[in-house]
Amino acid sequence: MAILERVDVEQARAHLDGEFGHRLTNLRVNFGQLDMTVPPHDYVEVVTFLRDASGFRLRFFTFLSGVDRSEFGPEDAEERPHPLEVLIHLYSPEHVLHANLHVPVDPADPRCPSITDLFAGALWHERETHEMFGIDFEGHPGLVNLYLPEDFEGRPLLKSFKLPSRVVKAWPGAKDPEEAAAGGR
Amino acid sequence: MSITDPRTTEQTPVHGPEEIAKIVAGGNLQTEQMVLNVGPQHPATHGVFRLLATIDGEMLVDAQPIIGYMHRGYEKLVEARDYRQITNLVSRMDWLSGINNELPLALALEKLMEIEVPERAQYLRVIMLEMNRILNHLMFFASFGAELGAITPTFYAFREREDIQFALEMATGGRMHFGYFRPGGLKEDVPRGFIDQALKGVRQVMARIDQYEDLLVGNEIFKQRTVNVGVLEKEVAFNYGVSGPIARGSDIDFDVRKDEPYLVYDRFDFDVCSAPNGDCFDRFWVLIHEVVESAKIVEQAIADLPAGPTLGKVPRVIQAPEGEVYVRTENPLGELGMYLVSDGDRRPYRLKIRTPSYNNVSALQHVLKGTLVADMIAVLGSFFFVLGDIDR
Repeated sequence: MAILERVDVEQARAHLDGEFGHRLTNLRVNFGQLDMTVPPHDYVEVVTFLRDASGFRLRFFTFLSGVDRSEFGPEDAEERPHPLEVLIHLYSPEHVLHANLHVPVDPADPRCPSITDLFAGALWHERETHEMFGIDFEGHPGLVNLYLPEDFEGRPLLKSFKLPSRVVKAWPGAKDPEEAAAGGR
Repeated sequence: MSITDPRTTEQTPVHGPEEIAKIVAGGNLQTEQMVLNVGPQHPATHGVFRLLATIDGEMLVDAQPIIGYMHRGYEKLVEARDYRQITNLVSRMDWLSGINNELPLALALEKLMEIEVPERAQYLRVIMLEMNRILNHLMFFASFGAELGAITPTFYAFREREDIQFALEMATGGRMHFGYFRPGGLKEDVPRGFIDQALKGVRQVMARIDQYEDLLVGNEIFKQRTVNVGVLEKEVAFNYGVSGPIARGSDIDFDVRKDEPYLVYDRFDFDVCSAPNGDCFDRFWVLIHEVVESAKIVEQAIADLPAGPTLGKVPRVIQAPEGEVYVRTENPLGELGMYLVSDGDRRPYRLKIRTPSYNNVSALQHVLKGTLVADMIAVLGSFFFVLGDIDR
């Protein structure tokens, strides 16, 4: 059996807060996992720290993806702080510790540093996020499409990309007309 | 069977890539690099998967996996469907372990909506999850044997699968896509006779598994083709996010069921199998031994199965409150995780699906580099992937 040195997630949060302070915003514990927002220029440094620092050792690469929050919440919601973000999840097998990192990027010119030097697993995940969200990962060795054909137009996982079948035909699961209209998203 | 010492007999010496290279160089053979295209239709890939191999003589200089032939865009589709529809959609990702795929979404919704799942439902879930794991592992036991030229495992495995498959069919009506888990519990209670049928299937597997182990693990030809072939190092496995039996074949003994128990897994006595060398043999050894552990869990869960309802207090319309949660479970092939972002609607705002085969196969390029062309199929087969799980 593996010898697990479980780390208290609140302590890890305090440790991380002491290390990076205000550079990490919205640092909290969400369902037992660390959750934080990291600006793109600090992102590689934070990931390196989480991977190598004792007490963290988050060296298991779970996934990297994106979230388009431009339509989050009710339609008339206030200004959304991070319309587009890169989302990374890392895990520490020996400390049973999770971290979710949200990296906000500029939707007009989405750029984010690549972490392929730190985690080889990010190679495919960054390619997928690039084709699905249009985010450029600077430093990735070959940012070509993973799933989609080369001549595919559009970024499918952006909220602005509507499913054609939902535009021409109402959402089949709807019971009320206003629900059907929302299906197109 | 012991779970600490995978090798019962002396290790067999094999010609590794270095020796072959020496033999080639000694004969002053002139070789030239060429590109060999494997797939997208190839029997060893269990689906449409392409491998762009650069070979130099008998050596693989590079092997680039090309995926996407089965991409169905589930992450986009789920955004236009409500939660009850998604249960049936996600079971089509890894079609060999349909019921396992349904779990993370149910768990994520139960966390966000704070639904309490009745004990009976949790036990029945565990029973079904582990029976599905046995089905999945027997399938790969069959296919890995077949890929290395042994056809007998296929017949044996499918004979054993049938009884377990029938038990699942009794309860759910499906053989591949079950649609049985709901947020808060199960669709309905299991029918009369299910427990007997499940026990019959599991005990049959337990009684015969030693024989199967001998059939391949104890087979000299099998060893020649798998020992020290396609080695995946421990640190590389972490770096790529490799999980499941493939990671455990590389001396990594983590298992979500043990480290972060979900459902009622902490109440059962079972071992995490792991093997030290990270080669094809060890991956297969872990796979076959996990069948026994799963069978142990099913027997314990059936013995302790409480009476009671199988569905908790669930609102008529499943509508998760605003929030985010990452839930991971131990799928037969590795860590299946779902990151659910909910904005309070009946549909997920964003559902990131982290499938095990995707991360596992991304490490293939690293493992295949420097192996022999003849070993390529053994390595591919020992990575136990399902294409639907990679492409989603």
